[in-house]
Amino acid sequence: MAGSKLNGRVRASTILEVVISMVVIVIVFGIAMMIVTNVTRLSQSGKKLRAEALLKTAIDSAGSTKTITLDEFRLEQEVKPYQQNNALLDVHLTAYDQNQQKVAELEKIIPNP
Amino acid sequence: MLKASALYIVIIIALVIAVICSSLIVSAYFYRAQYQKKFRYDRLENNLSSGVNILLAGADTSYATEKTFSLFNGDADSVSLHRFSWGIYDVGAVRAFIQKDTLYKTFSYANPVDSAKWAAVYLVDEDRPFSLSGMTTIRGDAYIPKAGVQQAYVDNKAYQGDKRLVIGHKYVSQKQLPALDNSRLQQLEKFRDQKAAGDSSLLKTDSVTWSFLKPTRFVNFKKKAEVLQNIKLSGNIVIRSDTTLTIESTAALNGILVSAPAIIVKSGFHGSAQLFAADSIRIENNCTFDYPSCAGIVRSGTQVVKSQARITIGANTTFGGILFTYEKTDNAVKPLISVGKNAAVSGQVYSQGILELKDSTRVSGSVFTSRFLYRNTFTLYENYLINTTIDSKALSPYYLTSGLLPVANKKKKILQWLEAN
Repeated sequence: MAGSKLNGRVRASTILEVVISMVVIVIVFGIAMMIVTNVTRLSQSGKKLRAEALLKTAIDSAGSTKTITLDEFRLEQEVKPYQQNNALLDVHLTAYDQNQQKVAELEKIIPNP
Repeated sequence: MLKASALYIVIIIALVIAVICSSLIVSAYFYRAQYQKKFRYDRLENNLSSGVNILLAGADTSYATEKTFSLFNGDADSVSLHRFSWGIYDVGAVRAFIQKDTLYKTFSYANPVDSAKWAAVYLVDEDRPFSLSGMTTIRGDAYIPKAGVQQAYVDNKAYQGDKRLVIGHKYVSQKQLPALDNSRLQQLEKFRDQKAAGDSSLLKTDSVTWSFLKPTRFVNFKKKAEVLQNIKLSGNIVIRSDTTLTIESTAALNGILVSAPAIIVKSGFHGSAQLFAADSIRIENNCTFDYPSCAGIVRSGTQVVKSQARITIGANTTFGGILFTYEKTDNAVKPLISVGKNAAVSGQVYSQGILELKDSTRVSGSVFTSRFLYRNTFTLYENYLINTTIDSKALSPYYLTSGLLPVANKKKKILQWLEAN
């Protein structure tokens, strides 16, 4: 089948056509790569989601101001009375990754145990 | 003849790539939008939970009028808090909002029991002993008169219960019952005396549910003796009457307040409500009041009243919650709470006057009274318990009492989630 086609005449593209095609293909691929890079860069990383989940579980058991290391994160926990009310605690948790970049933070008011 | 057509093929390839890229962009856009929405709602949940904690820790007077403020002085942490008393309990309403997104929760809250003050029985010391007969069980600590607790022979029956008589510690009671909380009583008086406009138009429909985020809906029958029947009422509704109000078994009440001089609940009723009367509450046979319910008589006037304040619970009725009587002035006729045969109370009974527990009654919780009463055909026995079970250990460990009663702890806990989105 292929042989029969090759036996016939094939009209070649001109050099101009090929050059334009190459340019178009390069531009299209370039744009595609830019889009893919942007989309992957802007979408939330799994690391951030993990850090947020970790903060959510850690905040209700927070007791005093301290720094703890959990999994791959360093959590800075700041605890103070909420508006001079000793029955309530204002807990502020911040998660940092191994590069000391802030990944997530959470603030909540919990009852003073 | 086969054509080379390089440009044509390139355009097709570019189109395919464009389709792939656009689907990638669209999916990323939706993912991002959903993520942001979830992030916002997580923050709202967090703020809502903070608001609930603030209400639970706050004083009774705080947030009596709705207050909107920023929790942490940030730009996305606005909450609106409101609390108000709902009968003997409190109701809190919390709303958290960021831009157009709002989350709300309404809940009732109450006090846990203070274990240091808790007792299965508190019988005021009137210088006479406390007698038990038949198959009577008292499980839990008991405050009893100095004269002590003893076995008795009544209705040809000796005492057949546990040899210890009281399965728990025994303490000596005082000459007076531990007092009810004054501020709560004032709130109840204020509620009773409130001259709310209200009308009875609400009852023309067959089912009404009123949100706690709205102002309370009052139904006022004024001086017309009305019967509540074939209706379902739930939520932030107060039923008032200036005369006797009858609640039929076909009425389904859920968490509403009822205030009238006299209330009659007909046989077979099932629901949960707080009933407040000045003279009497009669709950007939085979009724079921789910926790948290309340039946209370509050007489705060200083004038001497001749009629006896009375709460009557019919035979085979189950009541989950609190029964109480309160009279500001000591009258010659003491208020009475009468619990019928085979009736069961899960919660607390606080009788400032007399408590009559008929045959085979069961109280899972606590009983505070000035005097017990038992009567058969011929005789009336005072401070006798016959064929009765009072078991404070049978009460759920999650039971919450009201700040009105003297055994309440100062802390507050969620009693019931009422509404949420």
